[in-house]
Amino acid sequence: MRKIYLALLKYKDHFIILIAVTLSISLLFRNDATDIHIIRGKFSDRFSMISFPFAWIKSMTQLEKETQLLREKNMQLSLQLESMINANNEYDSLRELLEFKQEHKLELLSAKVVNMGASSNLSSITLDIGSEQGVQMDQAVLAPEGVIGKTVVVGKRSSVVQILNDVNYRLSVRILPSGNTGILRYLTGDVCEIRELQKNAKISIGDKVVTSGFSKIYPKNLPVGEVVQVMDELGSFQKVAKVRIKSNLGALLHVFIIIEEIDEVG
Amino acid sequence: MKWVKQLFAALCVFLAQFLLVDFLSINMIRPDFLVIYVFYISLVYGKTTGIIISFTIGLFSDLAGVGSYFGLAPLTLSITAYLTGFLNGKYERFLPYVFHLCWLTIIGFHFFVISYVRFQTLFVTDIFDFAIKWLMSFGYTMMFFLITQYFFPVREASRA
Repeated sequence: MRKIYLALLKYKDHFIILIAVTLSISLLFRNDATDIHIIRGKFSDRFSMISFPFAWIKSMTQLEKETQLLREKNMQLSLQLESMINANNEYDSLRELLEFKQEHKLELLSAKVVNMGASSNLSSITLDIGSEQGVQMDQAVLAPEGVIGKTVVVGKRSSVVQILNDVNYRLSVRILPSGNTGILRYLTGDVCEIRELQKNAKISIGDKVVTSGFSKIYPKNLPVGEVVQVMDELGSFQKVAKVRIKSNLGALLHVFIIIEEIDEVG
Repeated sequence: MKWVKQLFAALCVFLAQFLLVDFLSINMIRPDFLVIYVFYISLVYGKTTGIIISFTIGLFSDLAGVGSYFGLAPLTLSITAYLTGFLNGKYERFLPYVFHLCWLTIIGFHFFVISYVRFQTLFVTDIFDFAIKWLMSFGYTMMFFLITQYFFPVREASRA
């Protein structure tokens, strides 16, 4: 016993690193465990409280810029509204002709980004709302430009969102107008790639990319980005499309969580 | 008393990392103050203290919000602390350029692991782009490292 004790004392550095590595690896393997989610949720609540004043300062510094941007956007939107009203009337009449009456309405919850994590590489954001406001795990998170991620940890008053540039993030998408579907994953900068596309798919640069609706998390037709490059994969029956996402993931201030999708079938 | 001082310093570094890096972010690349702190702690106090502090600080860093790979920060920081611990008190025994090359390799390895996990798709598809990402995140933190080095030279820390 004494020998073991002396050996432990002699090689304590190696012993401690062994414990640290074992613990870290066991944490890595238990990423999806419920107890880990609960602990992370509780810590997320505490940390969001600390970072709230800094988030407030950040939003104040960007307020003027954002107001100017909103004014411009408002003007553009009011011009677009007119044409959309006409388009909607036309759409209604065509839908009636097809006797197809289905509408999708999304119940959204606005949230403020209070922190972007302590990691040197951004892969998650913390929001100031949690289960008390109705947020649950695996709910889609949107910015005005499109989908940016999903909730992965939900505390009482805060939530952690896994964003599009996380290495494990995958999104089932559809390319319009061709309608081909594939799996989107992050590549670099603001560029993602879509795999699992059929080789004969007709895809052009500038095509819109939207959610496919195959997943239970994301309702269909939510904007994601735009195709910027199409490549044939050598020795494979698949095509790869590179997509530019419009949202600036590094400068998110406000986002929306899709709480519920209301299907109205008439 | 030594532990209280170290805990306070660790808390300050963690808060700086947690609260201030957003303001210093360039194109989603952010400095890593934690690795600088872990490096100095291990260099001054050796492996045991370094590993314990780096594991704890890494765990808190991951708890503060991470998308996936919860547990990666304690793993990489602990390994960095362990490797840096070998340089404790070794400045006089090594040639200066060997010593500096050693610690640069350790920090570079830390960023390589982080970048590999983070950009593994890019590593497979475009290794050149991956190398740029790695060097950028490494280089950006090294800028802050050089500033720290001006006030607390590495050779002094190794002798301490």
